[in-house]
Amino acid sequence: MIELDNVSKSFGSEKAVDGISLDVPAGSLCVLVGTSGCGKSTTLRMINRLIEHSDGMIRIDGHPIRDFNEVTLRRRIGYAIQNTGLFPHWSVARNIGVVPRLLKWDKAQIRERVESLMALLGLAVEEFADKYPHQLSGGQAQRVGVARALAADPDILLMDEPFGALDPITRSGLQAELLRIQSRIRKTIVFVTHDMDEALRLADQIVVMQGGRIIQQGTPTQILAHPADGFVETLVGGRDRGLKRASLTAVGDMMEPIEQADDPPAISVARTDSMRLAVSLMLWHGVSRLSVRDDNGDTVGILPLRRLVDDVG
Amino acid sequence: MRVKARPNRVVLTLGGLAVAAIGLLDGVRIQPNRIVSGTAYGLPETLGLGPTLLVVLPLLVMVALAARPTRGREAVMLLLATVMLTVMPWALSGFIGRFIDASAGAARAALSAGSWLVGFALILMVVDLRQRLQAGAAVTAAILAVTLGSLVAALTGGALDTLALVQEYIVRRAAFADAIINHLALVGIAVGTSLIVAVALALWMRRVAAVRQGVLGVLSFIQTIPSLALFGLLLAPLAWLASRFPLLSELGIQGIGWAPALLALVGYSLLPMTRNTFIALDGVEPAVIEAARGMGLAPLQVFFRVRLPLALPLLIEGIRITTVQAIGLAAVAALIGAGGLGTFIFQGLGQAAMNLVVLGALPIVLMAMAVDALLKALADAARRGETLDRT
Repeated sequence: MIELDNVSKSFGSEKAVDGISLDVPAGSLCVLVGTSGCGKSTTLRMINRLIEHSDGMIRIDGHPIRDFNEVTLRRRIGYAIQNTGLFPHWSVARNIGVVPRLLKWDKAQIRERVESLMALLGLAVEEFADKYPHQLSGGQAQRVGVARALAADPDILLMDEPFGALDPITRSGLQAELLRIQSRIRKTIVFVTHDMDEALRLADQIVVMQGGRIIQQGTPTQILAHPADGFVETLVGGRDRGLKRASLTAVGDMMEPIEQADDPPAISVARTDSMRLAVSLMLWHGVSRLSVRDDNGDTVGILPLRRLVDDVG
Repeated sequence: MRVKARPNRVVLTLGGLAVAAIGLLDGVRIQPNRIVSGTAYGLPETLGLGPTLLVVLPLLVMVALAARPTRGREAVMLLLATVMLTVMPWALSGFIGRFIDASAGAARAALSAGSWLVGFALILMVVDLRQRLQAGAAVTAAILAVTLGSLVAALTGGALDTLALVQEYIVRRAAFADAIINHLALVGIAVGTSLIVAVALALWMRRVAAVRQGVLGVLSFIQTIPSLALFGLLLAPLAWLASRFPLLSELGIQGIGWAPALLALVGYSLLPMTRNTFIALDGVEPAVIEAARGMGLAPLQVFFRVRLPLALPLLIEGIRITTVQAIGLAAVAALIGAGGLGTFIFQGLGQAAMNLVVLGALPIVLMAMAVDALLKALADAARRGETLDRT
């Protein structure tokens, strides 16, 4: 777990980060969100000592980070950034294997690890292992970036706007991928973004920053339900936030059991889809009832419009 | 075969140029001895119209083919140009033989504008066609072997012994070899030294931003001093040092000779070398360096595994520009007794013996072209990254 205790960072007379305190429990995904220049990236980079903090205390698993050699510390922490920062003169496989190689794993072990990570991130080994970064699409390069960050199996993963430069569809796909991977590997992740939708979708815990300070932290539902001030309310979308909350709720949690006599409606959603999608389908098709299907395509429930109005709020 | 939409303008122009050069310009100048300028002769006036047309015929065929080129036609053109280039030394030998008996005394033949033009036009056509056909290394090697082989055979076999250039060479055989070695040594040591200094300066400039403008300013200033003036400026202090410290003069450090020449060459080489090295090292994408640090590469690992390899193509470009410049500048160093190929140029100028000037200048041009091509290829290889991707 990561603890920040009253941490500040000054550049000259300017305070980029001003006395923030934050706990990220092991295995949880914490998203730092805010506008540019709010200190979120600086905060992230203080954790792996790319920037040294000026004041306060940062601990990892109870040990102050200054007790570690900085190079050793960074090799224990995965790091993925916007525009990937892949080494353009190295092949994909070599890029992914960089930290294991620094840690002097043996060759067979590195190879095995690289191949299993490529499989985890949906990159076919035969197709991609020997490609160079300039031969990859933005989404593929970002997958390689994430694989590289995970290579030495670090407990902690720092991600600095990793999906920021991608088109919305690719970004959404990678967000889903990250959630899928996280549900399997349970790393402690600190994720920086300026996109509140991304934060709401990914986070166990959201930390909203402004002017180097934390102005609110909590679960996505808490932030949506009780924004601390006008700024946070703007970030979560003002009057649009009903839809944002709907996007956090799974259809499966709201559906009604199917009744024997019922003829299931023709339009259907998956139980893992969001309520936001369900609303959109109702609006588009002009229906007030949807059938809910499970992974096998079997109808397992009914979602009537009144459930939204009665229970979502 | 697919007809390409556009005519090959390069071959059209060069072919036309070569035809015009044969028809209108003189081919050789026959000199009764080394200094007298003699009389120039062209092909048509010597051989008559019929034989001249025969010589021009392959060129006319190439021009006709170039108007609507296909791959097959380009291959034919490449073959024709290569054959002409191969035959040219022997044709010249025969042409000169009409005027000069090889066993006769001081008479000699200098190549005139027409011969040079035809030679260059043929070489450029071969280069262009080879590139368009994307001919492989084997074809290139074959072309080089045939054309150069023919030239070397003509030169060593004595077929071109009546050529003034060859005559100048024959009497200076040993001096010529020395001059080439001397020239290469001057350039090599100057470029090597400036590379080491440039890397040190570039690292310093990266570390201390305030130094940046100062260093480049001083180096630009050195660059603006005319080369002769710089040699003159170095003369007095070096002579004084040598008289003050006998050890230095024993090492050969004097007001004239290789010491001031080397110093001046290093001075001129520093600007292009330092600027390129700095830009190369500084231009590596910050995100990549940030990622490297974030992954846990130690500072020296970041430099040697990431920054340097990524800077390498630009760095080699800097070495290329500097070396080509130094090869030319080293010729001037002959004026202060540093030796090298410039010696022949200035001797020739002094004696009004133009062929001696060419004997000095031609190897300099060839050397510069060879170094240029070699380092360009090296930079391309580094850019592809293949040579670097080895653990």
